[in-house]
Amino acid sequence: MEFQLPDFDLRVMMPEIFLFLWALVVITFDLSTKRRSGAAVAYLAMFGLVITGILLAVAGTGAGFGAMFFNDAASIFFKVIFLGAAFMAIGSSFGLLRQKIQHHRGEFFGLILLSTVGMMFLASSNELLSLYIGLELTTIPLFVCAAFFKDNRLSVEAGIKYLIIGAFSSALLLYGLSLLYGLSGTTDLLQMRINIATTHLNFREIGMLPMISVIMLVAGLGFKLALPPFHQWAPDVYEGSPTPIAAFLSVGSKAAGLIAFAKIMINGLQVFYDQVMAPSDWGILVAVIASAAMIWGNVAAIRQANIKRMLAYSSIAQAGYIMIGMVALNELGMAAVSFYMFTYLFANMGAFAVVAIFEDTTGSTQISSYNGLAKTSPFHAASMSVFLLSLAGIPPLAGFFAKYYVFASAIKMAGAADDKSWLYWLVGVGLLTSVFALYYYANIIKTMYFTTDESPYRLSVASPGSAMVLIGLIGVLLFGLYPTPILEFAAGIPEALGVVVP
Amino acid sequence: MVPIHAYLMLAMILFGIGAFGVLVSRNVIVMFMSVELMLNAANLVLIAFSRALGVVDGHVFVFLVLAVAAAEAAVGLAMIITIYRNRETINIDRYNLLKW
Amino acid sequence: MTLDYAIFLISAAVAVFGATMMIMQRNPVASVLYLILSLVAQAVVYVQLGALFLGAILIVVYAGAILVLFLFVIMLLNLRSNPELSASLPPLGWFTKVAVPVLMVVELYFVVDRVIWPPVPTGIVGKNPDFGSVETVATMMFTDYMYPLQLTGVLLLVAVVGAVVIARRESAEPRKTTASPDNRNEQPIDTVAG
Repeated sequence: MEFQLPDFDLRVMMPEIFLFLWALVVITFDLSTKRRSGAAVAYLAMFGLVITGILLAVAGTGAGFGAMFFNDAASIFFKVIFLGAAFMAIGSSFGLLRQKIQHHRGEFFGLILLSTVGMMFLASSNELLSLYIGLELTTIPLFVCAAFFKDNRLSVEAGIKYLIIGAFSSALLLYGLSLLYGLSGTTDLLQMRINIATTHLNFREIGMLPMISVIMLVAGLGFKLALPPFHQWAPDVYEGSPTPIAAFLSVGSKAAGLIAFAKIMINGLQVFYDQVMAPSDWGILVAVIASAAMIWGNVAAIRQANIKRMLAYSSIAQAGYIMIGMVALNELGMAAVSFYMFTYLFANMGAFAVVAIFEDTTGSTQISSYNGLAKTSPFHAASMSVFLLSLAGIPPLAGFFAKYYVFASAIKMAGAADDKSWLYWLVGVGLLTSVFALYYYANIIKTMYFTTDESPYRLSVASPGSAMVLIGLIGVLLFGLYPTPILEFAAGIPEALGVVVP
Repeated sequence: MVPIHAYLMLAMILFGIGAFGVLVSRNVIVMFMSVELMLNAANLVLIAFSRALGVVDGHVFVFLVLAVAAAEAAVGLAMIITIYRNRETINIDRYNLLKW
Repeated sequence: MTLDYAIFLISAAVAVFGATMMIMQRNPVASVLYLILSLVAQAVVYVQLGALFLGAILIVVYAGAILVLFLFVIMLLNLRSNPELSASLPPLGWFTKVAVPVLMVVELYFVVDRVIWPPVPTGIVGKNPDFGSVETVATMMFTDYMYPLQLTGVLLLVAVVGAVVIARRESAEPRKTTASPDNRNEQPIDTVAG
């Protein structure tokens, strides 16, 4: 019997392979220094992420392993987001090293890196099996990281809740994928598109089965993206887990869910969208979910007293805005979604970095403890305000352009196709809920600035965490004033994902 | 000759029982086993379709899913041990410091 | 009714019975044993569908190793049957509680009603006598599916590292005696390890 591997090109896979090996180096380094490595191990992990970024730039595009691993504009763009999120998450973990993480420092950072590896593999996978395993590789290290403070009851509880929800959602996803495999007769997404479009089985005959499969997929990925009605885990897990991990969950994990969603729904299933699902396609299903996310996320965020819970609800709402671009499904939509995710990286990671510094200094995550912070720590208060205003979508910050492009893509699509007029409603809900969002974001700014009290806490400016705040600040301001290069790069993403403009 | 939708129905029933188990059980270990049952139901779908299509891609899929399930079980059981040390219970209702 | 049908119906009934009993039990050990029963019945179905290798794997690896790990943990924690652990409506949102079972029923109905699938050649000997054998599966796995196989390797490494990190009791940590119920609630939230 002859064995023949498909064509493979390790050069294209170099960043992932390097980062995997580097994660092992990080873990081994901590072991070989008899667990006294201190902050060095975190710097080592950040260094590895920078090198991976450089490798990503030189690796280029193309097929890595048959059709299963493919580097294109979309995967490179999202890989940059993953690397950025991991970098900023590790950068804001230094405060934890002082007291909370005494043991297994190497494993903590190693697992963050391994989760990033999983996300990167996921972003390049063009095949159901590797997509599923990539998604598992993304989440399993995060279960462990969420429960990393083993003696802290909140952290362990967050870990077990995340674990059960994560395992449940991946079982739903797998069931959807297995039906999809049966319907299309292949695990390859591009082949699937061809098979479904041509002859493999006559899909009009089999009625609801594709729809059931799509519902399962939306449910499974909806859990990962924390979209209602599958969002209940997010505030609990964000509150309980270490703050940098909550930040990484809200950006990295969400971006991973997003690219998986785009790959399956757009790359593999767009034919469903056009023909079989036409009377009740996934667009409307996702649109309903998105508006529920915007309404519920923003309304529930108003009454939160804990800032991590508030940011969790805010991230649920943000996922709703992102999904508007996804259902618009034209050449603007996916580009707008990618740009949104990119600005969200800076704004949200920056906000969580401030929360992490504040928590390390004061031990509190209550919004009321931020009272009068502007007088004692003007840099952090000002940065936090900028991040929150960017999340709310105030010009000229990056978040404004992100929201603008997402809404613009939906309006364009609604104008282009007659049966898409429901997109106007979606945009309307988006605009309306943005006002709610502004209310609770402004509430925090009010707490920090407009008070006569002086905060008893003083946050240190000279710390790695503050450097992360600075990075976020630069990102939010720079890409707000000059978004052109990112937008130009993002313009190639819809084509890479195979969006067909009807 | 057993028609394929007999197998799909069996898979669906098992999946439904598994999903129901996750949703109604109070015992974390049983919740976890229900998830394993859901994965197995999905595996059954894959194997049935594999047979119908006459290719073994689905078998490879199932094999690797079993490995994933093992990995998930290892982490999950470790976490159950940890939370039991913390709380002395495996009742999910008692894990209520964070409200659902 | 042919022999194939009889075998399928019996094993399907056993699989469903085992699964149902699993979620009804108060005693976790009984739950595990019922799940093993269900899995063995499912393995019969696998073999009937020509998946000889996977049928064996399901019994040897899944029932034999993974579920024994469950048993081991239950024994380690010394869990007994507990009336508190009988099934109830859970702390999840009402939507998920209601939607998932309803979805299942709807799905069942439509599949039975609408789908016209070709009958599957059951029994071990189909058109291709090698179908589902170790050789064909392994060839596929180590050539076309080499990439997901390697990814699974990474995943297993992650699981090993993660399980050790989570389950390990730090030696520096003061050894807690089985905490008396009254001081359990007063532990500070951020206990510093070490």
